[in-house]
Amino acid sequence: MIELQVRDVYKSFGGIQALNGVSFEIQGNQLIGLIGPNGAGKTTLTNVLDGVYRPTGGQVWFNGERIDGLPPYEIARRGLGRTFQVTRAFRRMTVLENMLVPAMALHPTARQRDFHKKAWEVLEFLTMDHLGREFARSLSGGQQKLLELGRLLMLDPDIIILDEPFAGVHPKLMETIYEYIDVVNKQGKAFIIISHDMESIFTLSQRLLVLNFGELIADGKPGAVKRDPAVIEAYLGEEEEEEEGIVLIEAGDMEDAEESDA
Amino acid sequence: MIKRLLQPRWIAMVVLVGLLVASPAYLKDSPYQMAVVTGAFFYAILASSWALLAGIAGQFSFAHMALAGIGAYTAGILGRDLGTTPLQGIIAGTVLAGLVGLVIGILCLRLRAAYLALFTIAFSEILRIWLLTEFQFTEGSNGLMLDKLWEGITGVQEYYVMLGLLLGSMALMYWLASSRFGLFVRSMREDEEAASAMGVNVVRYKVLIFVITSLIVGLAGATFYHQVGIVTPNTMEILQMSLVIAMAVIGGMESLLGAAIGAFFSRVSLEMLREVGVFGFTIELGAWRYAAFGLLLIFTLRFAQNGLLYPIIDRLFMRGARKDTVAKRTLAEEET
Repeated sequence: MIELQVRDVYKSFGGIQALNGVSFEIQGNQLIGLIGPNGAGKTTLTNVLDGVYRPTGGQVWFNGERIDGLPPYEIARRGLGRTFQVTRAFRRMTVLENMLVPAMALHPTARQRDFHKKAWEVLEFLTMDHLGREFARSLSGGQQKLLELGRLLMLDPDIIILDEPFAGVHPKLMETIYEYIDVVNKQGKAFIIISHDMESIFTLSQRLLVLNFGELIADGKPGAVKRDPAVIEAYLGEEEEEEEGIVLIEAGDMEDAEESDA
Repeated sequence: MIKRLLQPRWIAMVVLVGLLVASPAYLKDSPYQMAVVTGAFFYAILASSWALLAGIAGQFSFAHMALAGIGAYTAGILGRDLGTTPLQGIIAGTVLAGLVGLVIGILCLRLRAAYLALFTIAFSEILRIWLLTEFQFTEGSNGLMLDKLWEGITGVQEYYVMLGLLLGSMALMYWLASSRFGLFVRSMREDEEAASAMGVNVVRYKVLIFVITSLIVGLAGATFYHQVGIVTPNTMEILQMSLVIAMAVIGGMESLLGAAIGAFFSRVSLEMLREVGVFGFTIELGAWRYAAFGLLLIFTLRFAQNGLLYPIIDRLFMRGARKDTVAKRTLAEEET
């Protein structure tokens, strides 16, 4: 079973404490939302999990093995994959080549043609098979996000971290991303989704983690978290707690109303 | 298999190699022209290996000529002081160039773009100044004499030696570029962090690309300067390195073949432009030919960033893939 343990993790940059004793555990194919105001430490936590940053304190264990301090490629090969806040497709490579990179990295003795079939299948699932021979730079921003998701399927990780997967994405492509998350999650993969899109995050997540100033201030079911006074305060400030708390709870409904107006 | 060999790209390659193999039949009466073409092969190796390092792997290094010089000086000094044969010297020079490439690769792991370029410029200049000043060891600006590859070697034989090296190194580099190695170094060129997150050991491939290209230019340098008979510190001047880069850019720095052909024709053109005959008068262009070459480089960077040979390479190698894409896209549009 998939198991990730983040044990009392600290990360500082000079005088700035980006993560301050963060601890949580993931077991099985949970679908977890990670939220928090700007600068809360969400991306720093992601970078610690995938090995870009070495934590200044604490430990990260993944499937029974300590992984903090390992380089990112080792962590990726052990089954922890991620996307980036700003899309990072290999722009001067074709879509198909983008797909082959993780597959080839994971299977050192395989040949590229061994993975062509799987790559085309994944692209078809993402409705991008007609773009396979295009350079990634010619794709739209949303399509590049889909391509990043496709690369992750080729890496076949146990835990997938999606950093702002819905930002700037056309509603039609958003549906494809929703479907991707649902299907892949049912296949047994765990997700950590970082997003400022409250409607999506509350709709998708089975569990929510909330970071503020590098500390984990809430961990629980979405319904409970959005009523948590600490969360409301973190997002909206103490002064306006009562009034703005309603806004947070009803954020999804508000956006529905805006969409129908449009 | 036969169908594959009948594709335009393979026919073009066979014709090109055939022409190069047959050329000495026309050039043998002109030792000067033979030497120019042989030298052009050397520059083709330098430019194509630089295209692999900078264009394909994204490591913008200025140390290429210095590494070729290391190969040549090692072979020359060992031959002079220890009496090694040219072949032994070439092997030692190649290995030392590879080792220096390894050190540069390790030292440059965290350097990117302009910082890597500045580091390698500084390295080349330090080496050049050291070769100039350590007169007793290197013969300084007088240059170090090297024996011929073997006793009684002819111009035609030298031609075939360099042609063999060019074809061999091109075959190796093409194999690398189209293998997992090529896939990984290109992903590294695009985004090191993203490549690493996809499971690519960026450190290993970054060091490897420096070692491999250093071995290639070390071998080429040691062999070529045995043919020339002398190597001087001027070989490592920034101008020389800039010429190699310009040749690769004109041909197409992301294409091994483009860079090699670009270097070949640039080198031959630069020699032919030494003297130009116009209406019975002979005009000596001297350094002005480099100005013309610079103009060509400016034209390339402004109007043909993929290199002047890109339209031909695109037609030969990429048209099939594009047709495939257009067909699939049309099908997808029809379905929706």
